[in-house]
Amino acid sequence: MAPSISKPAHKGASSGGAKGAKGSKPLGSASRVNKKNAPKRPPPTEMKSKPRTMQSNMQKKKKRVYTEKELDLPELNAITPVGVVKPKGKKKGKTFVDDQEGMMTILAMVNAEKEGQIESKMMKARQLEEIREAKRKETEARIAEKKNKLENVKDSIRNKKKGKNADKAESSTSVAKTAKGKKKSVAFA
Amino acid sequence: MRQLTEEETRTLFSKLAHYTGRSLNNLIAPPTEEGPAGEQHVFRLQGSRVFYMPLKLANLSVSIPRENLLSMGTMIGKFTKTGKFRLALTCLDVISPHARYKVWIKSNGVMPYLYGGNVLKAHVHRWSEDLPEHAGVLVFDDSDNCLGFGVTARSSAEAKKLDPTGIVVFRQADVGEYLREEDSLFTT
Repeated sequence: MAPSISKPAHKGASSGGAKGAKGSKPLGSASRVNKKNAPKRPPPTEMKSKPRTMQSNMQKKKKRVYTEKELDLPELNAITPVGVVKPKGKKKGKTFVDDQEGMMTILAMVNAEKEGQIESKMMKARQLEEIREAKRKETEARIAEKKNKLENVKDSIRNKKKGKNADKAESSTSVAKTAKGKKKSVAFA
Repeated sequence: MRQLTEEETRTLFSKLAHYTGRSLNNLIAPPTEEGPAGEQHVFRLQGSRVFYMPLKLANLSVSIPRENLLSMGTMIGKFTKTGKFRLALTCLDVISPHARYKVWIKSNGVMPYLYGGNVLKAHVHRWSEDLPEHAGVLVFDDSDNCLGFGVTARSSAEAKKLDPTGIVVFRQADVGEYLREEDSLFTT
């Protein structure tokens, strides 16, 4: 019995101890349990963290791509002038034009350009010519007006003179006959 | 001797188009009247000089080293170091059949022109119609021999008002150069 008693006592003690231990270690046991359970739990947490890291990696990669593009882009603040910079993607060396079609297209472009230039030149020349003609006509008209005015004034003066002369002549003829005697009589000095 | 690049072709053609009209196409693509086997002509660059020659000749030229090759076909002109193009007198035979504007000069004006003088109004026999200012023009004598080329100083309308001693065409090249520049004309 003793052993039976002792066993339970032991058991009890052990159990009590255990209980006590259990009772005393709920926090510690919980941590332990957690620690024990931790390796089981991490996978989801890791799984969660991985996509984040992946996303972040992806974002970083994308950013790198952009920065590279941005490195290609600067034109305004570059030391070398825009015209001198050689395009990066293009092949080195000269591109020859030897096929007939290519030459014909270039020639057509050049011809069209040239004809446009000539046309514009001719248009300009015509406009200038028109303006000059208009100016010349204006000046001619002004000169003609001036001449007319002068002629009119001259005519008027002539008419006046004529009128005066005529009056004078008439008066002189009429008066002269009458005033001849007077004149003679007056011309004492 | 190599083909021209796009840029070079453009500058060359723009210079040629200054003196010639639409028929410049015939230089590259020979008219079909000559037959489908009509020789295709090409432009080739040797040093800074541009030559115009039939394709056959151009293909043959490959067999001669560049340093040893002096000239081939007809010399059209040369590229300057700034990338512009100067037409040479030797291109006269190539461009004269395709001239856009022409000036014919009297017999008393031929000698002054061939000695390197500009064309005066008193020497002009007749003009192409509606000549603009600073346009490329080919100079002919009375019997339609091409004497050279130049650039008009005045438009035809303005030139009418000009006094007889006024310059009408600035000389660019004349046939007299073959004698005057005999020593230096073909030196590289």
